Amino acid sequence: MDVFLQTLVAGVLKGGLYALIGIGMTLIMGVMGIINLAHGQLMMLAMYVTFVLNTTGVDPYFSLFVAMPLLFLLGVSIQKFLLNPLIKADTILPENQVLMTVGIGMVLTEIIRFIFSSDYKYITSTYSNQTFFLGNISFSMALTIAFGIAITFTVAMFFFLIKTDLGRSIRATAQDKDAATLMGVNTGRITVITFGMGAGLVAAAGVLLAPVYYIFPDLGGPFTAKAFIITILGGLGSTVGAIFGGVTLGLAESMGATYFGMEYEDIIGLTIFVLVLLFLPGGFKRLTKV
Amino acid sequence: MKTLSKVLLAVAVLLLGVFQCGGAFAETVKVGVLLPLTGAQAKFGEIERRSYEMAAEEINAKGGVNGKKIELLFEDDTGKPDVGRSGVEKLISREKVPVITGGYSSSVTAASAPVAQQFKVPFVICTGSADDITEKGYDYVFRINQVASEYPNAVESFLKEVAKDVKTVALLYENSAFGQSSSKSFEGDANRLGLKIVVKEGYQAGAIDFKPILTKVKAANPDMVYMVSYVMDASLLMRQSKELRINPKMFVGGGAGFTLPEFAKSAGDAADGVFSATLWIETLPFPGAKEYFNKFKKKFGSDTEYHGAEAYAAMYVVADALKRAKSITPKDVRDALAKTDMKTAFGPVKFVSYGKKTQQNKLDTYLVQWRKGELNAVWPKSAATMKYIYPTPPWDKRK
Repeated sequence: MDVFLQTLVAGVLKGGLYALIGIGMTLIMGVMGIINLAHGQLMMLAMYVTFVLNTTGVDPYFSLFVAMPLLFLLGVSIQKFLLNPLIKADTILPENQVLMTVGIGMVLTEIIRFIFSSDYKYITSTYSNQTFFLGNISFSMALTIAFGIAITFTVAMFFFLIKTDLGRSIRATAQDKDAATLMGVNTGRITVITFGMGAGLVAAAGVLLAPVYYIFPDLGGPFTAKAFIITILGGLGSTVGAIFGGVTLGLAESMGATYFGMEYEDIIGLTIFVLVLLFLPGGFKRLTKV
Repeated sequence: MKTLSKVLLAVAVLLLGVFQCGGAFAETVKVGVLLPLTGAQAKFGEIERRSYEMAAEEINAKGGVNGKKIELLFEDDTGKPDVGRSGVEKLISREKVPVITGGYSSSVTAASAPVAQQFKVPFVICTGSADDITEKGYDYVFRINQVASEYPNAVESFLKEVAKDVKTVALLYENSAFGQSSSKSFEGDANRLGLKIVVKEGYQAGAIDFKPILTKVKAANPDMVYMVSYVMDASLLMRQSKELRINPKMFVGGGAGFTLPEFAKSAGDAADGVFSATLWIETLPFPGAKEYFNKFKKKFGSDTEYHGAEAYAAMYVVADALKRAKSITPKDVRDALAKTDMKTAFGPVKFVSYGKKTQQNKLDTYLVQWRKGELNAVWPKSAATMKYIYPTPPWDKRK
């Protein structure tokens, strides 16, 4: 029983972080129909920001206030100067924007490698190694805090989209860009803001992950893949779906690791991904209707 | 028009001069080096590249190979077997190198070695350690480092002579060619020693959370935890073992990540008392070992470890063979390599055949232990620089 509970706790805690990684991508995908394949790389960038701040003695969690705005600005510029011009260009490849994000991801990785080299970096904060116990079940302090912050951000995001004007405009753009334009929504501006927000959210995930994981330039790729799976699991553009998608992936990985073997971790995630595509093509969004 | 022709003439003369300069230095011996210089393994590729360059510089300063300078041609395998293969092909067909060395990850090395064999160009492997690379009867493939299955030799003798009360073992390994090869051979050793393997789990390298398998380890409560992991997985495994308060009599790393300085820095106090099998440490009584370590640190201002020593030694072995070869052709260099018998900073090098292996260097392995961020050799006694602490105290009893 302890083994099961411990696995459950580990899976859910990791899932919270996954949700935060996925939510940024789902937002971008929902609003613009762009699969942002530089998503993990943006996260990596935020982790390096955290690392650099940490070397000057700044608490990792405090870096949220620096990394998020920075990545927001970067996201805004990427959309404005790199992706928007592509929308106007008339080419045979409608996937140009997706290809552009791949390129951006590579450039970011290599720039970081150029500056910091390929060495592993790590942040040792007081709470990196801390745990508390509930009965026999151990909770990692850093992951629990990360889970709390991740859920807060996700819920805030949800209410932002439902309640505010800007949120409504984003949802309108996601539903039907032309109609939204006709209704007076400045969709160009909305796409720019959305990309910025997506980048900001994944930056938060990076900052929260930094104290428990390690940092190196090639870390982006695997996380882009994870974000992609979560986005599909949750259904494109659905924040609630992303939470479910993230927690599902986290749980599936942990449960799979305990009961099948950890070497199958990636297989399990991807199998669920295929099953969802086959039997629930809309993802969890179909179930929640939000 | 006149000025133009003058300029052209000047350019022509300059070019000619450059070519002549090239001619003066053309007396070089090309040596191909296959290493991961970009990609996830680039860190080790970097340490090895620097060690190769440092060794080549020293050799060249002492007159090179019979008066000819060694010229290193690096090929980046990016950590991918197919890239490694084409890298070797390029070195052989375009650069016409008489000898290739390097070879970092087992999978890249295993894919590249047959190419060297096929073109009959000697390949001196410095790091790729999966057993079967030298078990295929290749006569153009040599290996300087120990094979993966022999990494636990020192652990085995330690278990026999000191840790006699270890009866149950949990075995964790990364799901790679190296990890599987190492864990399989450790299983054999454990069976021979009469140890019971209570948990055996592979994992995907780069995981965030090892709690699922560690929870199983905790439930099984083994006397010893044996782990085959790269550096950051290693540090996460130890951090999370501490979080879960897993208390075996000893934690043992099967080489690779557990001996790097980053491991201790990243794992913090969770690294304390961890044993590791290792292939080399600078305090070993080999002539030049400590000197290599100091020179590297001084020159590059960063740490080096056994991978670098392997590369450094490989360069000396290759240079030695080139010096002794009747002519600088792949065939003669191969014959010279086969007769190698020299002492290097990494230990004595002599290519022998034993078991299924051919042209394999046979070296001891060592047991080291971390104490307060410092790594010391503790076993075998002849190489020990510090007394071992066994059993390791449980987490909640530590200061």
